[in-house]
Amino acid sequence: MTLYFTVNTVIEFFCLLTACLCLYKDRDPIWRLCILYLLFTCATEVSAIHIRKVLNQSNLPLYNVFLLIECGFISTFFYYLYKRYVNKTKWLMAWLGIFTLSFFGELINNHYLNFTFKTASVLSLVFVLASLYFYYLILKDEKFERLNNYAPFWWVNGTLIFYFGSTSTNIFFDYLIQDQISVFAHSIRYIIFNILNVLLYCCWSYAFLCKYLQRKSSSSLA
Amino acid sequence: MQISSKEVFFLISLITIIFLIAPLFLIAYVNLYNRRKKKHDEETDSLKSSFENELLKSQMEVQEQTLKTVASDLHDNIGQLLGLTIITLGSININDPEKAIEKIAAAEDLAKRSVKEVRALSRLLDGEELISRGLIAAIAFELDWVEKSQLYKISYYSTVKTLPAKADKEAIIFRLFQEALHNIIRHAKALEIIINLEFINDLLILSIADNGIGFNFTEIKKLHKGMGLQNIQKRVAMIGGTVSFDSAPGTGTKITITIPY
Repeated sequence: MTLYFTVNTVIEFFCLLTACLCLYKDRDPIWRLCILYLLFTCATEVSAIHIRKVLNQSNLPLYNVFLLIECGFISTFFYYLYKRYVNKTKWLMAWLGIFTLSFFGELINNHYLNFTFKTASVLSLVFVLASLYFYYLILKDEKFERLNNYAPFWWVNGTLIFYFGSTSTNIFFDYLIQDQISVFAHSIRYIIFNILNVLLYCCWSYAFLCKYLQRKSSSSLA
Repeated sequence: MQISSKEVFFLISLITIIFLIAPLFLIAYVNLYNRRKKKHDEETDSLKSSFENELLKSQMEVQEQTLKTVASDLHDNIGQLLGLTIITLGSININDPEKAIEKIAAAEDLAKRSVKEVRALSRLLDGEELISRGLIAAIAFELDWVEKSQLYKISYYSTVKTLPAKADKEAIIFRLFQEALHNIIRHAKALEIIINLEFINDLLILSIADNGIGFNFTEIKKLHKGMGLQNIQKRVAMIGGTVSFDSAPGTGTKITITIPY
């Protein structure tokens, strides 16, 4: 049982719990969708551990499937965040089209065996750009927002830190996947992703809390 | 050259740390810029509210000045006319029909003049109505009242026929004009007042000059006596204009107000 308790799973379950507590009554469906996404994330993480540690098989195909969910959810979430400032439906459609082509192209090229790390790198780059574009929209907007308590800002902060921070590990993916550094029991990729996951889910949990407080204050004003 | 695992570990760790620091700085920068935006918004709001306050103050002062004019006119002009009417009517002797007709006609004339004065006063009473006629008409109307006192020789030169309607600016400019004019009446001991109004290249230039006792502008400012002058300077600056005071003891005063319009 302790096998399933890793830094990643603990922080993911913590974020899922925060999302359930803070967002289950939220008015925005896209925020409520976070609960479902985090549920998928936790399920993927636990299943990945099970496949690797118990069944002794490669869990990369599972992460390939999860990449589709990840791209769909994060892209749609960004689209909804932008909606307050601009409407970018065409951008979303074009990006999802490009991603699908790239993903299945790489998958076929890998004979469905390896992780689609090139598509994942493109995905990281696009999400970094999407985060930067969100900051640009915030700065351009004439209306002032208290950013310390602004949920979308913290959600994007977490996303930017995670995808920007994972750039180097994505670049060196090929090398790291074979790398066994004797000093640590796990590969460096795993350690980096542990740190990034902690940062990501802490930011997201804080964003959910901000969203909850915002909902509470607006309902008490109404 | 062979790169060891340890070296790769440090290299990747370093790159990751840099890639983590960069977004942190970016987030801090966005937050800082946002705070500045808030500060700027607050400053804009405060400027806007102080402009609105000054505008309201100007409008109230125009009304106050108008009421003062009305009070003095009621006392000096209409009061006198009605007093004379009462005396004339009281002195009618019914037994002397010829003189009685003459006196009744004189009383009627006095009463008509009183009505005319009251009508003019009622028009003046509404300070906002005065400004709503336009700045040029309001200045001319104000000058008419001063001229009626026959204490000053008024010379009004204006090349401006119409001005684009800008209610806020008009109210403040008119109040500036009133302030300058009543400063002359109160302090200058002048006999002649010369007003010049020009509109050149989107600039409205209003000059008010008198041949009174004049004053030393620097000294008055140093002694903090000229609250009226400071008020004029503050309000002119608020609507983006400039004001110059040209005066010296014994040489009269000329105030020139230049406002982008």
